[in-house]
Amino acid sequence: MTTLHDGEPGAVTTTAPRPRRAHPLLAFLAKRLAITAGLLLGVTAVTFGLVNVVPGDPVTANLSDQALNDPATVAAFREKWGLDQPLWAQYLHYLGNLLHGDLGTSQQTGRAVLDDLVRYVPATMELAIPTMVLALLIGTGIGMLAAVRNGRFTDQLVRVGALLGLSTPPFWLSLVVLYVFFYQLGLAPSGGRLSTGFSPPPTVTGMYTVDAALAGQWDVAWDAAQHLTLPVLVLTSLTVALLVRFVRSAMLEVLQQDYIRAAYAKGLPTRVVLRRHLLRAGLVPVVTVSGLAFASLLSGTVLVESIFGWPGLGQYAYRSATALDLPAILGVSLFVALVYTLVNLTVDLLYGLIDPRIRLS
Amino acid sequence: MSVYPRRLRAGALALATLAIISTTACTAGGSGGNANGDATTTLTVNTSFVLKTLDPGRVYEATGLTAVHALYDTLLTFEGSDVGTPVPALAESYEVSADAKTFTFKLRSGVTFSDGSPLTADDVVFSLNRLKNIKGSPAVTVSELSVSKTDDSTVVVTSATPNPNVPVVLAMPSTGVLNAGVAQENGAKDGEDAAQGDTAQQYLDTNSIGSGPYVLKSYDPSAQVVLEANPNYWGEKPQFDRVVLRNMDVQTQKLTMQRAETAEISLDISGKLLDGLPESLHTSGVQDTVYFLFLNADPAVSAVTSNAKFNQALRAAIDYQGIAALYGEGAAPGAGLVAPAFPGTLPAGEASTRDVAKAKALLAEAGLTDPTVKFNYPAITYKGVDLGTVATKVQGDAAEAGITLELNPQPLTTFLDEMRGGKSPLGFTPQSLNYPVADSLINNMAPGQATALRSGWTVERADPAIVAAGEQVTETLDLAARATAMQQWQRLMNQSSPYIVLASNSSTVVATADLTGADYTAAGWQVDVAAVGRK
Repeated sequence: MTTLHDGEPGAVTTTAPRPRRAHPLLAFLAKRLAITAGLLLGVTAVTFGLVNVVPGDPVTANLSDQALNDPATVAAFREKWGLDQPLWAQYLHYLGNLLHGDLGTSQQTGRAVLDDLVRYVPATMELAIPTMVLALLIGTGIGMLAAVRNGRFTDQLVRVGALLGLSTPPFWLSLVVLYVFFYQLGLAPSGGRLSTGFSPPPTVTGMYTVDAALAGQWDVAWDAAQHLTLPVLVLTSLTVALLVRFVRSAMLEVLQQDYIRAAYAKGLPTRVVLRRHLLRAGLVPVVTVSGLAFASLLSGTVLVESIFGWPGLGQYAYRSATALDLPAILGVSLFVALVYTLVNLTVDLLYGLIDPRIRLS
Repeated sequence: MSVYPRRLRAGALALATLAIISTTACTAGGSGGNANGDATTTLTVNTSFVLKTLDPGRVYEATGLTAVHALYDTLLTFEGSDVGTPVPALAESYEVSADAKTFTFKLRSGVTFSDGSPLTADDVVFSLNRLKNIKGSPAVTVSELSVSKTDDSTVVVTSATPNPNVPVVLAMPSTGVLNAGVAQENGAKDGEDAAQGDTAQQYLDTNSIGSGPYVLKSYDPSAQVVLEANPNYWGEKPQFDRVVLRNMDVQTQKLTMQRAETAEISLDISGKLLDGLPESLHTSGVQDTVYFLFLNADPAVSAVTSNAKFNQALRAAIDYQGIAALYGEGAAPGAGLVAPAFPGTLPAGEASTRDVAKAKALLAEAGLTDPTVKFNYPAITYKGVDLGTVATKVQGDAAEAGITLELNPQPLTTFLDEMRGGKSPLGFTPQSLNYPVADSLINNMAPGQATALRSGWTVERADPAIVAAGEQVTETLDLAARATAMQQWQRLMNQSSPYIVLASNSSTVVATADLTGADYTAAGWQVDVAAVGRK
């Protein structure tokens, strides 16, 4: 067999095989992953800088007044937590540990920050998930209703209600709800995750209702569900108020489109027009705001958690911030940044599902 | 074209209604939050958590002290609301040397830890050495003490300087005795290197290894701490099988106590918040907190506040009775730095009084016309009192005498930093004692001491009579005479120190009517949960 070379008479020009292009979705995900890594690094740098710039000293926040008068105690604290090192050394040390999956130890709790997050995040998720489900159901329903009744009494009522909801301070609403449903009516417990007579179920997800159900402890599950009621009611009210305005305006915009008029003109039934055209087209901005609302709920709701004695991420973040507990603050910041990143990614992917025109080429 | 989708409206309404019903339906039949899953008796203690750890060697926050007092025994203790006389606990008796330097404790026999193992002098020595050497917040209370044993049932505590208050210190929860063997197995150290080497906090936060009436069942510093009766307790068994310390906002505490019927206590409803509570509830309080202004004595920080005449003018300008009224029930106008709960307090009749004319005359003598001072205070509510309200009242009183105070509310950490850095010209803060010994104030607030220096108050800037009076207190070993000397020191402090005591108020325990022994104590642990019983 003779080998023909390029350029020789009779040779067949060969081209190198094209490298296989990665699937567009994989490329997109890889790019987003790289951006996320950079973002998280930035979050650590900014948070680290801010905590060290704001007035206040972790020593002051973590030692008693009397202990602060004892130089040996203060020196021991600084040495133990590495506060006697230069800032750059502290930061590099933190980053080194972070690469090994170590978020450090909380000065307040004495536990690994990761363990603290594993403890408190599920409590917040137990509030956030039912809140979001209910808010989407109610908010979408009411928002659509307001849109199709644009300018009429129902619409005005919804708009005023949404405005009131957005203007209501969460802590005030929490106190009112407590007063009415707990104090006056006795319909719900005042706070906490469980009544004092019950012990937490064996941990699987960290969400008491789910874990108790998995363990077959139905009385505990029922009690935990009752304790969810009031904080979820408050958070749902606030989230619905936010969603309703977006849903209404998105739907109104779609209702003005020619193809909606055309659909009606062709004699399509209203429910078909609304389900096939209005709902789907109007969902894109709703998904965006829902994602942000969910991320916000997952980041912890300090005031609501405080009033209802709910041991979630919000309370942990607040306690960490007031004690200038740098490892815990960094841990919470990273978690929140990660949540927002993942939620944004999910929203972007959902766009493609909802509206094929948005899909990546 | 009119779009009027009736079915959509009906569907949307149905969807919204269904969701609302699903939210509220599960409340039907909801309990008041005090269900009992079994036949055990549970005491619920509601408090706004101030809690970082249950490690006796590191504990200093209120909620932690309440729990640790129930989990760990100390050599001595206080009963009920008395903080004047320590009584035997692990030590059945003790002797004090004439120079108040050596304290010999005879341990009670037959005491076991919750795991059944015997408690010996070795455990006491280990626990006290660990407390001293890990250098946590409470270490400063034992920094001058050394401890040893002469036999398995005798412990000797030696103070580097004469200190008749050592028995009081050894009643504090931080001196609780750990099972040394178990502690060491879990990272506890008591040597000189313990500050960096001791890693037992995480274990001690989730396990109790003491000999107290309760053992730790669960610990969540954001939600609740559950204690269960110690089956091996050597003393009188507590009446409640379980105690649940529950983290609760103070407003929610008030609502909860208004509905509570049995076995429930709240620790943070005090002052004005007590208004409107049902008559059936039992309240117990002791005035253990003083609120004072501090003026910087350093001319470099403030030429105004460092002026002795200005200091006296501001004292004369303040309406002490009016300020006490802002605190509500259980408050009194300020007399001295020692709160009424503690030995050495000044009689109520010596409370400061207002004299605006005198204030104006003093300002004229000082050569100050319309003096203006920045007035720092922490923007917090403390024991039911918004400090901003009090600061505003002080500002108004001062204005009537011709003094302008510029209110500067600050986040707590910022306020503390500025105060401790000696930068505040004028500030306002509450103060409670770390342990119930009034003369510990001498070590902090006398001229030249650490707290005094934060206000620029050096020995050179102080009246020599105050320095002498402080020395007189520390040199007096008889406790009754020491309390009298303490009163004299305060009288002199009220004349020319940088501190102006505004008022004192009570912490309060609110309990359901069926309970006994739910008495507030100024000893640090707020209430002895093991002493609470049913009528």
